[in-house]
Amino acid sequence: MRKVFVMTLALVLALASCSFADGVKIGAGIYRFNDAFMLRFRNAMTAESEKLGATIEIADGRDDQNTQDAQIDGFLSGDVNVLIVNLVDRMAAQSVVDKAKSANIPVVFINREPSLEVLNTYDKAYYVGAKAEESGVFSGQLIAEYFKSHPEADKNHDGKLQFILLKGQNGHQDMILRSKHSVETIRDAGIEPVELASAIANWDKLEAMKIMNAFIMSIGPENIEAVIANNDEMALGAIEALKAQDYNTGNPEMYIPVVGVDANASALEAMDRGEMLGTVLNDADNQGIAAVRLAVALAGGKDISAAGYPVTDGKYIWIPYQKVLTSER
Amino acid sequence: MANTSRSKRLMTTGGLIFLALGVILYFAKEPMGLNRKIYDLPIFLIIIGICFAVKGFMAREKTEEEAALAGKNLTEFLANNAILIAMLVLVVVICILQPRFMQIRVALDILTQSSTKLIMALGICFALLIAGTDLSAGRMVGLAAVISASMMQTATYANRFFPDLPQVAVWIPIVAAVVACMVCGALNGFLVAKYEMHPFIATLATQVMIYGACSLYFDMPPNNSQPIGGIRPDFAQIGQLRLFSGLWKGFPGISILIPISIVICIAIWFILNKTVFGKNVYAIGGNREAAVVAGINVFRNIMFIFILASFLYGIAGVLEAARTAGATNNYGNGYETDAIAACVVGGVSMSGGIGKVGGIVMGVLIFTVIQYGLQFINVSPMWQQVIKGVIIAVAVAIDLTKYRRK
Repeated sequence: MRKVFVMTLALVLALASCSFADGVKIGAGIYRFNDAFMLRFRNAMTAESEKLGATIEIADGRDDQNTQDAQIDGFLSGDVNVLIVNLVDRMAAQSVVDKAKSANIPVVFINREPSLEVLNTYDKAYYVGAKAEESGVFSGQLIAEYFKSHPEADKNHDGKLQFILLKGQNGHQDMILRSKHSVETIRDAGIEPVELASAIANWDKLEAMKIMNAFIMSIGPENIEAVIANNDEMALGAIEALKAQDYNTGNPEMYIPVVGVDANASALEAMDRGEMLGTVLNDADNQGIAAVRLAVALAGGKDISAAGYPVTDGKYIWIPYQKVLTSER
Repeated sequence: MANTSRSKRLMTTGGLIFLALGVILYFAKEPMGLNRKIYDLPIFLIIIGICFAVKGFMAREKTEEEAALAGKNLTEFLANNAILIAMLVLVVVICILQPRFMQIRVALDILTQSSTKLIMALGICFALLIAGTDLSAGRMVGLAAVISASMMQTATYANRFFPDLPQVAVWIPIVAAVVACMVCGALNGFLVAKYEMHPFIATLATQVMIYGACSLYFDMPPNNSQPIGGIRPDFAQIGQLRLFSGLWKGFPGISILIPISIVICIAIWFILNKTVFGKNVYAIGGNREAAVVAGINVFRNIMFIFILASFLYGIAGVLEAARTAGATNNYGNGYETDAIAACVVGGVSMSGGIGKVGGIVMGVLIFTVIQYGLQFINVSPMWQQVIKGVIIAVAVAIDLTKYRRK
């Protein structure tokens, strides 16, 4: 009985994956083409559409909401069955939703999140993205796991984690959520975090290097057990400052784990050299795939649950961030 | 006469007392367990002691007149050196709050951080000496940093600025970056010399242009305004190499930036004091009309001033890129204000014609120590800004009262 059920399920899935997208045409608006993150997003969307047998047309908003509005009008007056929109200006969400609603075409927002009230004005408006707090949780986990698996990381053997926090621009959503959740996660893992010092380095490598240098001198590198940075550039600045004191250059006696967020190329290179512990990847590929799968499902008259992802509030598909560790590369 | 020999004796004995105290502490700190309380204080005391003793011993006999003047104007002396005194007080306070400040590695670190600032200040002092200013200095640093870093990436780096560029020799991007700065400097000089534009306006215009051009370059595909990374180690060494490191246990080494800035400093001292061009700079700054009457080619000299200054900014930019192993178009932002402030603190007059290399070195050191010290005891960046502003205001006020009296 069970076997039959599994076989039926497999058959249904196979049918679904090969045929249900035929003839679907997706119109996608990206806020700006020359953005490395959105480039990855676009490539993933194109590949997934091809795989599902849908056609996708992607327009460059050139960082101008008026341009994007015109492109959306073009899509709606053409023959697209569904929209994917990466807004230039989040405030423009309502007008895009209204347009889609009057044309009765489903719309999937990506990367820039409209408010829930806006999404609630149209039953076929959805959002696919990543949760900023999760990046904080993951960087906290990277540190906590390292601390647990490397007893020598507790340099003063007090069972607590003495760390330095390098924060992004003051008041920025990502800075607040990442700072808060990274520290909370360490605490939740059963390690007491002790903040030796924290400073705002405005996402900037040079600034972070200067600040970290002062911390190294005034606190002493032997007393620092971890450095948590809100993004990779600041993590790399901290690493340059550490390297100037012969730390993180390969000597296991002189190593301070440093984590960032973004998984940018310089960070991955620093991890390959063993200078950086880890980073958290904002997963553009899987967000792109999910957006296309949802769009295709909606175009086929199905609802959000048909895309095959966990759904929040009937409106959101959250794609998890991914931890990237030195040891895994 | 007695007065003079007394001050001389005072200096020598004071120095010897410091020296003795230093030696005693040096040998006492281990057995007394003071290692974690006073760090390298004894060594500093020994150095300060030797300096004072030698200075007191070598000081030339002052004439009676000079001695009388020195005695009478003690308050004036204090007022003129208010910022130096404030710095010394700050250092003592920091040492008490955070004894880690008394380390050789901290002193070396301060010197390292002073190095690029000194190069900037030496460049900008020329503009100040002709009663001008140079607002484009910081943006030129950014331009040089971006240009040099963009050509110095490892072959395997994922986001290369020029994906097909072979691994070129290190000097090529350095020359390219410095030449680009010198072109901008020539534009500054041309606007100032040809149209007699005030340097404030001329360099403001070029500042905006340079930043725009640098941002355009930085935004070229495939880079698209991403921070430049993956810097080749041989290039990074230009700013990161440490000499004599590990000479004894725990010695961090002397950053290559320190000898570089010393060489530049000596060269600028030579240019200002021993060449015709240097004399012309002071002459133009002191009285432009008189300089013209005296047959000095003002146009050529002003051009040369701005080109030489931009050469130094270019060097500073390359060193910044190498030191940090990266660059963005925002590098160097605001460096000109720090450099101008350091010059003013070091006694360069904003009204032109007055300023010495020695004073600029002092100004840069004082300014760096104060900034570094405040960061060291983790004073909020907002307060740091306030304090920095107060220092500049006080320095200029002293400068003006000093010359009004004359």
